[in-house]
Amino acid sequence: MASRSSTLAQPAVFRGVGRSLLLTLPIALWTLLMFTPSFQRAGRDLHIAAAVVILFMTALFFLMMRTGETYRWRRIFFVALGFLFPVGFIASLVAERGTMSIPLSRMVSGDTPFCFMVTPTIILPAAFARTIIFPGAILPTATNTRSIAFMIGLWFAFTLVLGKAWCSYACFFGGIEEGFAAFPKRRRLHRFVTKYGGILRLIPWAILVFVVLLSAAILEPVYCMWLCPFKTVTEFPAVRNVETAIQFGVFVTLFAGLVVALPLLTKKRTQCGFFCPFGAFQSIFNKINLFEIRFNREKCVDCTLCQTACPTVALSKDSIREGKTLLNCMKCGACVDVCKKDAAVWHLKGTPVAVKPERARLLFLYGAWALAVMFGGNILAGSIAAIIGFLPWK
Amino acid sequence: MLGLTTGPVCLASCGPVVLPWMLVQPQGVRWHSRQLLLFLAARLAGYLVFAAAVWLVGSSIPHAWSRRSWLVGGIQVLLAAALVVYAAGWPRRRCALAQPSSQLVQIGEAPRPRTSGALALGFLTGISLCPPFLVAGVRAAQLAHLWAALLFFAFFFVGTAVWFFPYLSLGFVQRTPAVVTVARMVAILLACWYGLSGVSILIERAFYG
Repeated sequence: MASRSSTLAQPAVFRGVGRSLLLTLPIALWTLLMFTPSFQRAGRDLHIAAAVVILFMTALFFLMMRTGETYRWRRIFFVALGFLFPVGFIASLVAERGTMSIPLSRMVSGDTPFCFMVTPTIILPAAFARTIIFPGAILPTATNTRSIAFMIGLWFAFTLVLGKAWCSYACFFGGIEEGFAAFPKRRRLHRFVTKYGGILRLIPWAILVFVVLLSAAILEPVYCMWLCPFKTVTEFPAVRNVETAIQFGVFVTLFAGLVVALPLLTKKRTQCGFFCPFGAFQSIFNKINLFEIRFNREKCVDCTLCQTACPTVALSKDSIREGKTLLNCMKCGACVDVCKKDAAVWHLKGTPVAVKPERARLLFLYGAWALAVMFGGNILAGSIAAIIGFLPWK
Repeated sequence: MLGLTTGPVCLASCGPVVLPWMLVQPQGVRWHSRQLLLFLAARLAGYLVFAAAVWLVGSSIPHAWSRRSWLVGGIQVLLAAALVVYAAGWPRRRCALAQPSSQLVQIGEAPRPRTSGALALGFLTGISLCPPFLVAGVRAAQLAHLWAALLFFAFFFVGTAVWFFPYLSLGFVQRTPAVVTVARMVAILLACWYGLSGVSILIERAFYG
């Protein structure tokens, strides 16, 4: 991981311990509330895991309050989520059916847990053909409590408030590449990314339109069946013929290229920034949500440190000159933390820019961290419980 | 009635071809109306050709069905080629990427609008075999006279064509370089999809009969 001193500036806010604890209290209570059901269920492993996650999430929020930094602490949670999610998911698959591959009969019977990534592709078929083209249960069933309706409701409520921040605080895939992007000290291919950023940023939109149109035409979740890199670390159709072999090959190639190799080379979230159609879909909600990052032009010296730090190429020289981010900003806070002049600020829409930005940050973080705890926290707890279950001395 | 009720399926089936192609056309509803009418005229021609073929084959449809794969594979490959030429605008004489800037959001020049694009894409989608089309084909094959089959398909076309008029709203979409580039990228992706799908069908037919 690159040393912080070389990339991040001195934080603008450094609160006392008492005040930081006070500001952390609502999140601590929310976290306890979210994990109450875990303690009511039987299982020592789950109780330990829940306690660990409560401490972990509360401590990270406390550090955000104390240091005034967002990106650094959020990244720890996000990378942990990214790497632990597949562990828990694979463990549950192996325990249930002994393999990561899913037979067609299980898919047809709707046993697949719903993934938010397919949300944009199910809208048109639902409207025109009155069919949900994802093989999951619309309402909760005995075996699948995370139904399609539950996931879409949760996603929509938080997206309206936080916009594309979903991609930085809730997505259980983005953390994998953010983890790989954090490893190298040097940025390679930086000139290439800067030079072709304009075109690269458009690719997720093209893939979004492609999968939406094709999914509606053939009534099949095209992204899931053919393009999802994360099938490699979750579940995939059982390889039984040439077609499924090609599918699996595509998944592995995309994962190796976009989630591992390119983040290692560029220190960017390349899958999120240059491929993910769901990310493009989320970008639309950046237009209507409450929070954004703005640039105080009176303080900005056009050093472009923020542009270099942005993990998804959501800044261009023009956008900085206009005092805004591009539409694909996922509000990770990297640009704000790296700015040495405090020109990059959190902003609540409808209020004056750069007036009480810390208040806007606090309001945003309460929403975003509540989402992180509710969504990611439970995933973390499940994965940690699975790991504890596998420990040899147990 | 069959055309009207199955129209949404036609809309979805032809959407992957119509949307990227229309988005690379110049902005303006008048231009789009003209192009859409040409597209629909070519599509009608495709329908009538299919109606005549189906009527001639008649009761031996199951036999034709076994040979269908050649036809489906061939149509998909042609559709892929048409998308590349008319929507993506390739191949071109020169690549305009010699001096890219950080503002770059365009891959070379956008394709020039051509009447032949509307005709080619319209005809190819007109003979593409989507589920409602096959239902109509079976019905047409059972009719006593060729003119009845043609008339049936003409009315079927009218029913489905109504559903294409919402595409005229694309004429209002502002043609920024980003919109045109995304449309061209979509066309390339769809061409890859149709091309690979068509080639795999042809290979399957060639090796397994």
